[in-house]
Amino acid sequence: MDLDTDVPMEDVEEHQLRQSGQPAGADASAASRPFSGKKQDLSLTSVNQLDQWIDKLSKCEPLSEADVKRLCDMAIDVLQFEENVQPVQVPVTICGDVHGQFHDLIELFKIGGPCPDTNYLFMGDYVDRGYYSVETVSYLVCMKVRYPNRITILRGNHESRQITQVYGFYDECLRKYGSATVWKLFTDLFDYFPITALVDNKVFCLHGGLSPMIETIDQVRELNRIQEVPHEGPMCDLLWSDPDDRGGWGISPRGAGFTFGQDISEQFNHTNDLSLIARAHQLVMEGFSWSHQESVVTIFSAPNYCYRCGNQAAIMEVDEQHNRQFLQYDPSVRPGEPTVTRKTPDYFL
Amino acid sequence: MENYNDDLYPLALLMDELKHDDVSNRVEAMEKLDTIAIALGPERTLKELIPFLNDVAQDDEEEVFAVLAAKLGDFVPLIGGTAHCLPLIEILTILVLMEEPIVRDKAIDSLNNISLELSDAELAEVFIPLVQSLSQGNWFSKKIASCGLYKSVLVKVPAAARIELLNLYLKLITDDYPMVRRSAATNLPELINLLTTFTSANPNHDNKVNNEDWEIISKMFHHLINDDQDSVKFLSIDVLIAILEFFKNIGEDSFNSDFLTSALKLISDELWRVRYTAADRFSKIAENFESKEEELFQLIDPFIKLMNDNEGEVRKAVCKQLPEFCHLLIKYKSTKATILSKIIPVLNDLSQDNQENVRASLASSITKLSPILERQSTIDKLLPIFLTMLKDEFPDVRLNIISNLSVVNETIGINLLSTNLLPAITELAQDHKWRVRLAIIEYMPKLANQLGESFFKDELLSLCMSWLWDPVFAIRDAAVKNLKELTTIFGSNWANSEIINRLLNNDDKIDEDDKIDYSNFIIRITCLFAITSLIPVIDYEIIEAKILPFINSLIVDAVPNIRFNVAKSYLVIVESLVKSNTVGKDELHKLINTEILQNLEKLQNDEDVDVRFYSSKSIRGINEILA
Repeated sequence: MDLDTDVPMEDVEEHQLRQSGQPAGADASAASRPFSGKKQDLSLTSVNQLDQWIDKLSKCEPLSEADVKRLCDMAIDVLQFEENVQPVQVPVTICGDVHGQFHDLIELFKIGGPCPDTNYLFMGDYVDRGYYSVETVSYLVCMKVRYPNRITILRGNHESRQITQVYGFYDECLRKYGSATVWKLFTDLFDYFPITALVDNKVFCLHGGLSPMIETIDQVRELNRIQEVPHEGPMCDLLWSDPDDRGGWGISPRGAGFTFGQDISEQFNHTNDLSLIARAHQLVMEGFSWSHQESVVTIFSAPNYCYRCGNQAAIMEVDEQHNRQFLQYDPSVRPGEPTVTRKTPDYFL
Repeated sequence: MENYNDDLYPLALLMDELKHDDVSNRVEAMEKLDTIAIALGPERTLKELIPFLNDVAQDDEEEVFAVLAAKLGDFVPLIGGTAHCLPLIEILTILVLMEEPIVRDKAIDSLNNISLELSDAELAEVFIPLVQSLSQGNWFSKKIASCGLYKSVLVKVPAAARIELLNLYLKLITDDYPMVRRSAATNLPELINLLTTFTSANPNHDNKVNNEDWEIISKMFHHLINDDQDSVKFLSIDVLIAILEFFKNIGEDSFNSDFLTSALKLISDELWRVRYTAADRFSKIAENFESKEEELFQLIDPFIKLMNDNEGEVRKAVCKQLPEFCHLLIKYKSTKATILSKIIPVLNDLSQDNQENVRASLASSITKLSPILERQSTIDKLLPIFLTMLKDEFPDVRLNIISNLSVVNETIGINLLSTNLLPAITELAQDHKWRVRLAIIEYMPKLANQLGESFFKDELLSLCMSWLWDPVFAIRDAAVKNLKELTTIFGSNWANSEIINRLLNNDDKIDEDDKIDYSNFIIRITCLFAITSLIPVIDYEIIEAKILPFINSLIVDAVPNIRFNVAKSYLVIVESLVKSNTVGKDELHKLINTEILQNLEKLQNDEDVDVRFYSSKSIRGINEILA
């Protein structure tokens, strides 16, 4: 039932250039900023501006192109200082793929509670497939900038220039804004998203799965993540791999990443003193699914994926004692959505 | 840009924009048409803009045409009144012939709009020839367009001309093309309604509607009910209703038996779309026969036949008509008796219909039968059906019953309702679909209001408290709001002993095991939300003695989310205390300064940015209130 057959595409010229240019720029700006333990609080004007945007977006109205530009600038300022393995405190609610299903994201907050009262960790794939990728990713990025301690947004394999050109985000931006500027702004921003998170040193969260080139979490910390998702190598694997019933490493049918067996997961959890790997990336009919004797859990938060898969969605609440509770939910009810009409068009007569 | 003469600028801009490659830009440009016309002034609009639009109307895409057609409807004032409206009508005539329905419909609306501003003479000179030539056009789109334009002229011409128009219309009704017939049939009820209002407004007018008119209309009706296309035939039901209303209006019922025969024929038509439309408009049809017991009676069996129809859509539509039709039936003894003897037994079957949308439709209308059936029959006949439907597997069915219970309550009283329904409600309160639980919660204040304190406490209070610990946030949130509403109903002391003591684990009667476990973050924050929501509706003494200490205890909570909600709660306390005006000013200031502000200042130095933000915000809020 897995629709996600995304295959990485041939490289575009442009991002090759970026790979060498951009990170240097980012490092420079990081260095020029004096490090302090406590980041500057947001100014009241920024807070008001963000609250206004969040208000607009929560009605599913996209921001103007100029506002997206300002939002992305603010977001880079926050995200570039996050770590490859972003530490996250409990309690937190962990969520999987959303894929532009904006109304179902609002349903998610009805189930789990609104942010900032509830802390959230999203494991990527905000765009593509659904009809409201622009609103979904704008909303989550706004929340991230407004409440950086309350919400963590990781990068999924769809947060990439190449994948979004094939699976809908690029076309949606073109349709809603008339140009690719907004797509460019967001895909440039995606490079700064953290790629994994560690909940209270015990639950390792990421979009895809493990990599044969990564044995310890420290090795993830050493990666240079600020770049387009590569076609191979550890960063690619973290965003693309899937757990599998077969032991050891296997070739992934997706054409990127690997499949990994229970032996691999158990070894990784043991080496890094983890209790669980939480990941998303695969459609699961109940919204969540255990693998490898509860050492890996898959969480998928897009109910009725692609508006036709008939699956439930789920989120996972982790409390202060590390108790886990899964909440499952169905697609949101949207009044005024098409019901059966029996009107016959003229040309049928 | 400087090359443009200032005066020409708006028009040049429009022309430029309309050359844009992207349709959406051209549509946007067209949207600004009226602004441009205002900028140009009437004379230049007429001389420069309109000729240009005439060209545009022949060379662009539908989206642009649709906007143009809509805009032109309001253009008469912009070209300096009706004297020069001919070129406007010419453009719209081009647009009205497009085969794209959205363009055609917008152009028809605009033409009708313009016709309202024309004098009778102008109508006769410009409009009637237009309608006539379109009606006799050589292509179906002309004829379809003409159907929508008759309404602007029909009652504004002398009787003889009207007969001529109706005869033309009759040709459209009998046209070879089904889409023409369909358009004519769609517009016919509105034309008849025009005749109705015209007649009642001028009963003795020289041009009053006469038998000749009716002969033609009746011919149209007979063609329609015998049309071989279901998409045309089903429209005859609205025509029938319009005709019946005309005769009812002039107090003439000698044709009623003929019309009843036609109605009965349509109701039992072999085409399901016809039966569906008849079912959907059933009470509208029946209303016209209510003055004669005998005629009304003849409609009962057909109604029941529709309730047993093979098509689910038909059953669904007729279910919606139940309350209104039964309401008509109580007028006579013979017809009233059939509600119990004939209709109710069918409802039993329908409540277990195999299609869920039929059951949902029945659920939304069946409760409205209770005032019609009155108390005893509601108890004997309807309550068992409600109970079955409350346990339906399809949530919409249950929801529709619950959300319409108040009308049942008015008939049989809350006691009977609750003893019969409580078990079902308790069951639904634990339904696995959260929206069903939500619907039940929202019904609680209503039940509380009518059940009274002691009954409510025995039966429902523990249920209301248990929703606070629901896994779904929306339910916890509704539970919090519900507790606040219950407090406004039962009072501050009740809230203190029944809710606050329970939430704060102050109740000695509760076993250790049943006490609330504050180690869980969600439970702590829910308690905080619940307590905070009560603040505006309880007395100062309780706030001071119970609530403030509880909130103070949470400022050192390990979870920042709790701490910044504490900061928010302090502001709520100050707001409601100042608003309630029951506390002395000195005492209030002392409380605010020594306890509340001091704690907020501690929070202002919190390690978490959100705690700092909300405590500063509350301090600002409090200072504004005190200033």
